[in-house]
Formats: sequence, structure tokens, C-alpha cells
Amino acid sequence: MPRSRARRRVASALRLIAALVFAGGLYTAFAPAISAQDAPLSPAAMEGKALFDTSCISCHGMNAQGIEGRGPSLIGVGGASVEFQVGTGRMPLGSQGAQAVEKPPVFNEEQTRQLAQYVQELGGGPQLPEGNDLHSGGDVAAGGQIFRLNCSSCHAFGGGGGALSSGKFAPRISDTDDRVIWAAMLSGPQNMPVFGDNQLTPDQKRDVIAYIQETLKDRDPGGFNLGRLGPTTEGLAVFVVGITALIFTALWIAGKS
Amino acid sequence: MKRRKIDLKTLPAKAGNEVEDRLGVATPLRSIINKVFPDHWSFLLGEIALFSFIVLLLTGTFLTLFFEPSLKEVTYDGSYTPLRGVHMSAAYASSLDLSFDVRGGLVMRQMHHWSALVFMAAIIVHMLRIFFTGAYRKPREVNWIIGSLLFWIGFLAGFTGYSLPDDALSGTGLRIASAIMLSIPLIGTWLTSSIFNGEFPGDIIISRFFIAHVLLIPALLVALISVHLALVFKQKHTQWPGPGRTNTNVVGERFFPRYTIKQAGFFMAVAGVIAVLAGALQINPIWLFGPYEAGVVSAASQPDWYVMFLDGSTRLMPAWQINIGIGNGYVIPPIFWPTVVLPGILTTLPLLYPFIEARLNKDNKIHNLLQRPRDVPQRTALGAMAVSFFLVLTLSGGNDVIADKFNISLNAMTWAGRIGLLIVPPIAYWVTYRICLGLQQHDREVLAHGVETGIIRRSPDGRFYEVHQPLGHDHEALPYAGWVVPKKMNRLGALGPALKGFFRPLERPAEAPVSPGHPPVEAAPERREIESKH
Amino acid sequence: MTVQTTGSNGNGHGSSVPEEIDYDDPRTTRFEKVKAAARQDGVDIVHYEPQFPERGSRLEKRMSRSVAFMFLLVGLFGTAFVVLYIVWPWRYEQGDVMMKYYTPLLGATLGLALLFLAFAILTWGKKLLPKEVSIQDRHDGGAPEGDRRAVGQTLAYMVEELGVKRRPLLGLAAAAGLAPVAVVVAAPLVGGLIKNPHADNQMFTTGWSPIKEPNGGTRLVRLTRDDGTPIRPADVSAGGQMTVFPGIPEGATNAHADSPTLLIHLRPDDAAVARANNVKGTGHDKFDRSDFMYGDYIAYSKICTHAGCPASLYEQQTNRLLCPCHQSQFLITDNAKPVFGPASRSLPQLPLDVDEEGYFVARSDYQATVGPDFWERP
Repeated sequence: MPRSRARRRVASALRLIAALVFAGGLYTAFAPAISAQDAPLSPAAMEGKALFDTSCISCHGMNAQGIEGRGPSLIGVGGASVEFQVGTGRMPLGSQGAQAVEKPPVFNEEQTRQLAQYVQELGGGPQLPEGNDLHSGGDVAAGGQIFRLNCSSCHAFGGGGGALSSGKFAPRISDTDDRVIWAAMLSGPQNMPVFGDNQLTPDQKRDVIAYIQETLKDRDPGGFNLGRLGPTTEGLAVFVVGITALIFTALWIAGKS
Repeated sequence: MKRRKIDLKTLPAKAGNEVEDRLGVATPLRSIINKVFPDHWSFLLGEIALFSFIVLLLTGTFLTLFFEPSLKEVTYDGSYTPLRGVHMSAAYASSLDLSFDVRGGLVMRQMHHWSALVFMAAIIVHMLRIFFTGAYRKPREVNWIIGSLLFWIGFLAGFTGYSLPDDALSGTGLRIASAIMLSIPLIGTWLTSSIFNGEFPGDIIISRFFIAHVLLIPALLVALISVHLALVFKQKHTQWPGPGRTNTNVVGERFFPRYTIKQAGFFMAVAGVIAVLAGALQINPIWLFGPYEAGVVSAASQPDWYVMFLDGSTRLMPAWQINIGIGNGYVIPPIFWPTVVLPGILTTLPLLYPFIEARLNKDNKIHNLLQRPRDVPQRTALGAMAVSFFLVLTLSGGNDVIADKFNISLNAMTWAGRIGLLIVPPIAYWVTYRICLGLQQHDREVLAHGVETGIIRRSPDGRFYEVHQPLGHDHEALPYAGWVVPKKMNRLGALGPALKGFFRPLERPAEAPVSPGHPPVEAAPERREIESKH
Repeated sequence: MTVQTTGSNGNGHGSSVPEEIDYDDPRTTRFEKVKAAARQDGVDIVHYEPQFPERGSRLEKRMSRSVAFMFLLVGLFGTAFVVLYIVWPWRYEQGDVMMKYYTPLLGATLGLALLFLAFAILTWGKKLLPKEVSIQDRHDGGAPEGDRRAVGQTLAYMVEELGVKRRPLLGLAAAAGLAPVAVVVAAPLVGGLIKNPHADNQMFTTGWSPIKEPNGGTRLVRLTRDDGTPIRPADVSAGGQMTVFPGIPEGATNAHADSPTLLIHLRPDDAAVARANNVKGTGHDKFDRSDFMYGDYIAYSKICTHAGCPASLYEQQTNRLLCPCHQSQFLITDNAKPVFGPASRSLPQLPLDVDEEGYFVARSDYQATVGPDFWERP
């Protein structure tokens, strides 16, 4: 009998992945109902569960079901979300604020993946592709189009981030790793909208990341970029540098010789 | 042919006579060369604006050779790979070409933009100098009015220029400009559709802005700047009070040689600073913004700094919409007040200010001597109030960037701006007023009791007191002359002058005249020394 | 040659006695001639002092050397500019570092050349030329009374001679004749520029209004991406949003600048709230929008009702939509009513449906006016 059980498990996992690919985010709404709660965890997920039970359980509850008023359920959020939140140090949450902020991660890369695997096996959800390089071969021009239509409104043209309502903000993304950007698009962390594979195909995601990594990280051709904050810092610079220098020159010219 | 002998010594005189016989320029030339200009650093602020305007004209002419003012759609195929294949307007594509396919085009574009910012900044700084020293008083009201108009025309020049590349940021600005025009009661829609030739953005606005930006507005600027300078020339420059300076003379240097040389040098300095800015600091990277599309926007969308105060006023304006329930109903949207009414007030009030002040003071006299800001506390305080009002608005124009970079809530920034706009200017008024009075009082104290010497003496009864060096004879208080009162001993020549030279002394320091602990004993320095400052 | 100079001023500087100077007299120095010429313009050179009391002193030599050195630096940096302009790699190449220094190097060399030129000129003028103090009279207050009267009388006489008062018909006729000429000047300008803003009802329609078919029926406009592909409900995940354009020719271009729309897939709880509020309506416009949503999908105009920027900073947890231009905030789950900032009007909502092929369509055009407000909006 173990054989057929294994086959069942494989079949269910395949179903899961198929559903993910085709229904993406829609799927997540139904995920808890069909997730294989009782299926045994993989070794990596077992490690992840151990980490979860020591560090996450107080807010996210037993089996990541969530605790009212403390932390949301993680059923169906997927490994991508865990990799983003834990991998960038946003989780475990440091202090209460308008939103979780990036800080040095508590868990190393391997532990993060174990946690992600655990959450993934608990309730399914979007998952990241393999590898650390998720941008090579992307079409920078196409990625730029997508970036300007979907990303720049919050993260700004130069990728420097921007303010949202009431103290929330969109972080700087021009120095972020491929996996983190991909995970953010897939999972829609905090107030960021979700860009599932149904909306932006993996190829398009690759394009966007290529644009961010190759164009936005590139050195600026016009000199120091003043933080790419647009006319605000340019206006500051014209007084602090230009006018100040010229007034000192005027002082020298008119000074007693 | 026999070679005629040329007497080189008499040649200039001969040539001069030939010219004079025909043109008759000798007398006016002499009077120009001999014209006297007073010398003070604050009189050079207007020149920054003038010289950056010349840089604007030069670089701008270069840019027109490559710019294509058209909204015709093209597919980009230039050197900047991240935008290749993107559909965009010819205006944007040619701006990209200017940046990447014209050799040295980017440095020219950046020089043009930086000099525009310097131009507007210099206008403001110059205007503040005029205001705080009372230089706008009779007979110079007309020049004050022309100067104020120059700010607004420069503002228009800047805005039209900012709109020309048709990148996403300038398109957003243009969209807001159209919304501002739309908000004007009765004529808003007609005005907007007439300017844009239909619904926003239409297909002709860039061509119209182009001709305004390269011909109409510069022509107006050149004309007004010429009148502005001609009036300065005709009315002669104001001067600070000081030794030998009266309301009926000008004390300074003749136009030629020293004044001209200083002007030429300063022009080079302005151009040089602009060139350094253009090389060191990137400005308006349109290639990152992408072409303007109605659905595309970026966080931190701001206009150039001199428009930012209007952006700020728009951000701070509460959502007060006025509905007029006649017929189908009419609307005055909230954006109308901060962007049409407020600039209207900000234009009119300064234009009228010289006349208001003269009337309030019942002052019909001609004023050629400047006033120290501290001596006219009301005006200075009023100016500080206006500056703080402008600053709150300008900071609010960038409040999202401030909120993001300093981790402040955006909503809190808006509220801080709203409250700040109401309470900061009165506070600035009061504080400035008190500071002026304090400075006045200190001047009078020094005139009455003398300069602090830093020498502490102990009197026989054990008290300590500081020795003061009286300025007048026989401990008599000197009258205040409207000019700097020396407050340090080396200004009186008692401790030796400050060392000259920019980085190191060019001459040996003068020897200190007295040994320490021994205050100068001669009765009092001469009057000349008190006044010969600056 | 002898010139009479009139005494210049009454404030005690310089002599007020007319003095004669012989420009051919070898005994007068050139400077004395200059002073005499200045006096003719009411200018007194009261102080004229060489910077260096002894000619050719070490200090003077040093100063002129440093000016000369600065001029040489001008040449050096000018040459550097030209050389860099020619030899430095300048073609844009992504990731290439060298070419990114092209503009900074040009700016730096040009700037330094100009700055050294500035300081060379200034030092020459300031440190090598003699210091001077000159005093010039002002002649304020315009012409004396007699001159004013003369001009006034002349002008008055000219007006009298024209005789408009005596011959009123002439004046009236001239005014009547010239007025049309003024109109002639203004007419082409005004007439050429003016454009009816309400032609085709353009202020109140967008690219979403159903297309009239040749056979008389109408076809609903599909929601499309910027590349024109239609959108199924499954294409946007819960908590996601997508900028959509009308599926008509040029629908995603600036020809339809009022049409970009934000399609949002709300989470089920939020969708329930949004549906309930859709029924209730909000504020001024309390009309029923109960069938505007499709499932958990809701669509609002992306064009801010305040100044027309794309209000597109969608916060998927708070369901706020922030406009980056003036920070107006709209609550998506309550009819996109403005909850903060200067906007005074809700974002218009697009009624959604799905056609028989499973793609999103707009059931009709926006029912509220899209974009910034104006006077005659009902």
C-alpha cells in the first residue's frame, strides 16, 4: 500500500502545482480546503517546522493558522511570501510600525528556505523558481515598459521608493536581489498588490527584474544622480551648491582688495 | 608703388577721429566709461540672473538644432537600449537623441537645465536683496515691477521648457497645468481646449509650447531685461550709506576698467559654476522617466523648484469644493484657489507694495541710499513672513520625498504644512521684528559706550568689568549713520587688520600696534576708520 | 586743444571751479587728462592708489605670475575638454563605466576652464589694477521746472492742433474706423485658437463608451492590457491590480488620455464591503452602483479627479488609492471616495461585466465625469 499512497501524494502535489500554474492567486482562496494537511512533511519542511515552532508560532499560531489580533494565517501564502518576509528580515517583526521594515535577517538562507518549504507544504501557494539569477536573458526594454506602468507609481522611476499613506512606504528596490523582487511580485507583501504569474508571466517578471538590475543599477550617465529624487534634490542642490558658490564669489569680488 | 609710411603712434588717434566724424560716439562713450558703480557683494546678485540667462540663450540655441517639437508617434531606435522599440513622441525621441546620440548633447542639456534653475534662484535672491534694503523705493518702483514680472515670465519659460521633452514627468506636469486651467470658472474648458486644441493632450501642444519657449517668452525676457538694465543705468545704482556717500552721489568705481573687468570675470564664474554643476550632478534624467503616457506616473512627481510652491499649495488645500446649484449645477473645484487665486495674489501684492509702503509712510522723497534691514523692522519682518510662507509651501511641494526619506507619515506632513502655513509666518514676523530691534539696540550701545575690548579689569572694590573702547570723543555718543558699526577692535585698526589672501597671506601681517593688556590709549580713532568698512 | 570742464558737484569733493586742461601739454600726465575727462561727466576720482607702491616689486611679480598661471590653466583645461570630447568613449552602452564619465568630464573641464578664466580676470582687475574711489553726481528728479513746462506745452499744443475737440466727428470716425482694425488683428488669433470643448461631448465621454456597429447595434468595449490583449477574471489575483485600457484602436495611447482604468481584484471580505457601499453610494453622488462590480472585481478611473494624475498607488491591505502628485487618497471599498488630501470628488467607477468569451467588458461608459473638475460639470 505505501506505493499507492506515494503515488497519491505525487498526484496531489502535481495537482497542486498544476492548479498553481493555471489559477495562481485565485487558487489561494480555496487552498486550505484541499491542502494535504495530513501528508507527512519533507525533511526540509520538518526543519522549517522546528524553526517555526520556536520563532513564529507566538504570532502565527499552531500550524500557521494565525492568531486573531497578532498575526495572520499563513495557510496558502506560499513559499514566496516566506522567502520575502523572512529573507529580507521583515519577519520576525521587530517593532510595531506602519509597516514591517527591512532589517538584517534573523535566519540564514538555508533556514529561510526550510521555513518556506514548511509553509509551502502546509497550505500551498505561490513558489519561487530555482536559482539566484532570475534576470539574465530578460528583455530590458519590455521590462522597462512593465516597470513604468506597474511599479514606478510607488517605487519611483529610479527605483528609489516612495511614500504611501499614513507612514507606509514603498521601499527602495534598486539594490534588491532577484529572488526578493520576484517573491514580492508573486506574494504582494504588505500593501503591495499581487502580480501573480497569471498577470505577469514568469518571462515578464524576468524582463522587469532585468530592467531593475541592468538599467536602474547602472551608473548614471549624467553625473551624480542626487538620489534620483527628481526636482526636489535638484532644487536643493541649486541653492546649496550653485547659488552658495556664486554668492561667495560675489563676496570675494566686492571685498576690499 | 611707393609704400606709404604709417606712423603707428598716431594711428589710433587718426582712426578714432575718422570714426568720430561719422558716428559721433565719443561723448556718450566717455560718459559710459566714466559712469560710477557702487561696489558691494549684494549688488552682484542680479548679475547671476543676467549671466545665467546668457548661458540659457547659448545652450538653448544649441538644443533647438536637434530638438523636434512634435507629438508625432515614432518608434525609438537610438543608442539608449533600454528604450529601444518603445513607441514615443518625436519630441521625446529627439530629446533622447540629444542626450545619447549628439556628442556632448547631454552636457549641453544639463547646462541648460541647471542654468534655468540658477536663473530663477538668482532672481529670487536678488529680489530679496532689493526688498530687504528698500531699493524699490522711489524712483525705482518701475524696475521693481519689471523685476517681479521677470520672475513670472521666467516661471513660464521654465514650465514650457520642462514640458517640451514630453517625458512622463513633464507630461504629468502638463496634465496638472491643464487641470488648473480647467478649474477656472466659466472659461476653464474653453481656455483649455483652445490651448490644447481639443481634449488633453491633443496633438499640437508641444509645437505651441516650443514656439513660446524659444521665441515669444525669450523675446519678452530680453526686452524686459534690457529695460531693467537701462533703468539701472539711467537711474544709477543705489548705494549703502557710508563715508562720503549721500543721497545725491554715487561712490564706487568707474565702469571701465575695474567694474567691467569684475563683471566679465563674474560672468565667467557663473558660466563655470553652471558647467561644473552640469558635469557633476545629473538633472532631469528623462530616459528613466520614459515617454509620457496618461496611465504612467512615478512616486515623487515634482515640478522644478520654482514651481514647487504652487505644488505645495495644491497639496495643502483642503478638499473644499463649491457647488453652485443653478440650472444643471456648476462647480468651483478646490484646485482653483491654490493655483489660480493664490498666484494672482502673489503677483499683485508685490507689484503694489512700493506704493502701499510709500503711502503708509507718507513718503514722496527720492531714495538712493539703502536701508539696513534692522533699521526697518516692520518691512524686514514682513519680508521674513513672506519668505517663510514661500518656504512652507515649497517644502510641502516635496513633502512626499521628505516623508519617505525621514520616515515621517505623509498625512502628518500634509497636516504639518497646513498648520505651518498658518502659524509659521506670524512667528517669523515676531521673531524677525525682535531680532531687528535687538540689533538696533546693540548698535546704539556700541555707539554710546564703545567697542568691547575683551580686556577684563578689576576695580578697587573687587568688581570685574570689561574695558570698552569709546568711539566718539570725550565719551560722547556718536549718531547712528545707517551703516555698519564696528564691533571688534581689529575693525578699529587697534589689533591689526585681518590677513589678506584667499588661502594664505599675500602680504605680511601688519604688526599689532600695542602690547596685550595695554588697551590703545589714543583718544579715539578717527571718524574715517569707523566708516571705512566694506 | 583746450577743454572747459564745468565744476562737478557741490558736496565738497573736487573743485567746483571750472578748470582748463591742455591735452597737448606734455607736462600734464595722462592720468590728469583722464581725471579731467571724468570731471566732464560729473565724476571725481578721489582716490586712486596703485596696489603696489613700488613698481615691479616682488609682490607684484608674484601676483602677475599667478594670473599668468591661471590663464595657462584655462588653456590646459580647454584643451583637455577638446581632447576628451574627441577621444573619450561617448556612445551609450548599458553597464559600461567609461562612457558614463563622458558628460562629467566635459562638464568638469569646461567648468574649470571657465572658473580659472574668471579668477584670472578677476585677480587681474582686483589685485593688479589700482584701487579707486570715484564719486559721481546723481541728477535725480528729472528736468527742471522750465523744461517740463516746455515739453508739456508742446504736447498740449500738438493735441490742440489735431483738433479732436473742435472736430468731434473726426474723432468718432477715427475710433469707429480703427476698432474693426483692432478686431482684424485679434480675429485670426482668437478664431484660430478657439475650440469648442463640448464638441462630441468630449468632456463627458471616454474610450469606454460602447461602440456603435454598422448594423445599428452596439458592442461593449473590452478591457485590455497596454498591448491590446483582453483580460479574463483569472488574470488578476486577489489583492492584485492591473491598469487596463479600452479595447479600441489607439485605446492605450494618449489619444484616450482619460480612459486608463485600474482593475482591482479585491479580497473576498473587502469585496463584500465594497459591494455593500456600492449600493449605498457616497456623499453627493448617491446613485446605485450595485451592479458595477463583477464578482470581487472592481474598476475605477485611474485619472485623479483632482488634477488628472494617474492615482495608482494602490495599497492592497488598506484598500487606499494614493495619487502621487498631491497625495489625495481614495478608499476603494467605499466608492473610491476621497478620504484625505485635496481631491473633493470620488473616482468614477467603471461598470464591469464579462462577455461570452470570458473577457472583461465595460457594461457602459463611466457614469460620472472622468478627470479633473471644471465649471460646467453638472
